[in-house]
Amino acid sequence: MVPAKVVIRNQIRALRFESGEMTQQDLADRIGVSRQTVNAIEGGKYSPSLEVAFRVAQVFDKPLEAVFQCLMTE
Amino acid sequence: MGASLEEKGVWLQLVATVLGLGAYFVVAGLMLSAGVTALPAYVPLFIVTVVMMVALMVAGFVVAAIASRPEGRDERDRLIGWRAENNSSWVLAVGVFAAITGMLFSINNVWIAHLLLLSMFLSEVLGQVLRLVYYRRGV
Repeated sequence: MVPAKVVIRNQIRALRFESGEMTQQDLADRIGVSRQTVNAIEGGKYSPSLEVAFRVAQVFDKPLEAVFQCLMTE
Repeated sequence: MGASLEEKGVWLQLVATVLGLGAYFVVAGLMLSAGVTALPAYVPLFIVTVVMMVALMVAGFVVAAIASRPEGRDERDRLIGWRAENNSSWVLAVGVFAAITGMLFSINNVWIAHLLLLSMFLSEVLGQVLRLVYYRRGV
């Protein structure tokens, strides 16, 4: 049986704008990664570790699943 | 997306490695074809190559650090590094295996040494190219 492919989506861009147009650099500084990594996460090019994912959720004061969504595709 | 300091560092390493060791292999190739088979004859050339590569990398990194926001490696940089190394180390393994095979057939040490150096060079270049691909296309 072939396991379903996991696609991780996120709402970081929308949440940044809801949080007073927070810049990628501001978010990067608060979660301890580079701006390019925040950009890669937002663009779906990189799935962060659980630690970084929780830090992002904490910055926006949201539960993890409100920031990251996991989609299973065949 | 602008390149991070880490990514610029990878570009610098790639350019320095290709220019430095590329030039070394051109000169060493000419020496080998001229029949120079004594390994110590290549040592000065190798030392000059390494010093030039290090100087180029240090100078380039200083310029890049001045022009960029200083930041350390983060988890994405580390993952990219591990994945690139994992997918490029086979080149070095093939070179080592070929060198051992060469030793079994008593091939001159100068060829064995250059085969090992060439496999190290190709493995390093492949690793750096893969890193740049992962930075751009994602991991």
